[in-house]
Amino acid sequence: MDDDVRTVPGARRVDEVLRSDPLYRVLGPLLARPAVLGVVLFVLASLVVVLGPSSESRFIYTDF
Amino acid sequence: MRRIRDLLVTLGVLGVLVVASNAVLWAAYGHVPRPATDFSPAYLQHELALLAHEPPQTLVLGDSVVWGYGVPAGEGVVALLRRDGCACRNLAFEGDSPPNEYALLELMLAAGVRPRAVVFNVNQKVFNPADSAYRRLHPALGVLAEPLLTGAERADLERMPEGAPVERALDRAVARGWLLYAMRSDVRERIFGSPDAARALLGVTQSWSGAAARVAAAHRPTPARFEGTYDLTPLDGQNLGVRYLDRFAALLRAHDIPAIAFFTPTNHALLHEFIDNDQYRANAATLAGVLRKHGVRVIDLDGAFAPSEFLDNDHLTPAGHRHLARVLAQALPR
Repeated sequence: MDDDVRTVPGARRVDEVLRSDPLYRVLGPLLARPAVLGVVLFVLASLVVVLGPSSESRFIYTDF
Repeated sequence: MRRIRDLLVTLGVLGVLVVASNAVLWAAYGHVPRPATDFSPAYLQHELALLAHEPPQTLVLGDSVVWGYGVPAGEGVVALLRRDGCACRNLAFEGDSPPNEYALLELMLAAGVRPRAVVFNVNQKVFNPADSAYRRLHPALGVLAEPLLTGAERADLERMPEGAPVERALDRAVARGWLLYAMRSDVRERIFGSPDAARALLGVTQSWSGAAARVAAAHRPTPARFEGTYDLTPLDGQNLGVRYLDRFAALLRAHDIPAIAFFTPTNHALLHEFIDNDQYRANAATLAGVLRKHGVRVIDLDGAFAPSEFLDNDHLTPAGHRHLARVLAQALPR
């Protein structure tokens, strides 16, 4: 199958494409570590909570 | 096997960070100049825990007038009193009413808070059954005070409608475990000065573009906007607000808490056709009688402020807050 792909002129394997991406080269190995992934997930969730839209607007009194 | 181990490590790190953030937020989140508009049950529990472990302070309860609607937090009456040396805290919130004050006092006492004195405003508009706060508890108070209320009180009072059962269950489950999520509305308002980042950004852009000034100019308060705001039905024990004001004052007296009530400064120039009449004055006398019966000191500021000190019917300008702070400073225990 891989050989078939390689027969297309200019085609590259997916992992080759990823490895050529500078962001992936930095983040890939980091995110592959479960402890780092836990930290990243916590930071992302915190950002969503702090920056997210208020869902409490229905609670605001509007009689003034 | 390795994947399961990796998953457990990821979840373990997440759990440790959540627990650590809970501890940091609980320890670092001090008093705020005033509660967020949508203050959370977790915030209120935290605030009451702080108050319970501090020397007794004067607690200022009340509605959006006392909270400081329309003025920056630092220019509200309680912030000005504190600047003047008063050991007082702003526990006022938008949408307050006698049932809310009663529920808040029950909660404070249950949490072990013993105030040096309680100061609160009495606003005739919330005795109108059509007012949104007449029988409705603030969501955070509704959640926390419900177990402290009697069955009859729970039947009297409304809680804010909540979301769908699944949404509610998920929300409570996450809020129980993660304090940042439970206090998100408080944290957002503290960081952005607005219910969320998007509204803060919108406010900045509207201010820069001049849209905010145009909206304000188009919404200048006119008498017509307040038609029906003040109900002139004679007030008596049939009125829920009167009943809960009576219970609130009785509870203050039962716990020997000195209390000062002041009639909310009201813009008579704007509301002349609705409130400059005998029934409005008779209702004020009824409310004063209810409070004095329980030993509450009553200060009548209803007609004491100039029209230029109001933003609308009762919310005060920064100058109005300075005026109110001067009056209250004279009355507060030294």
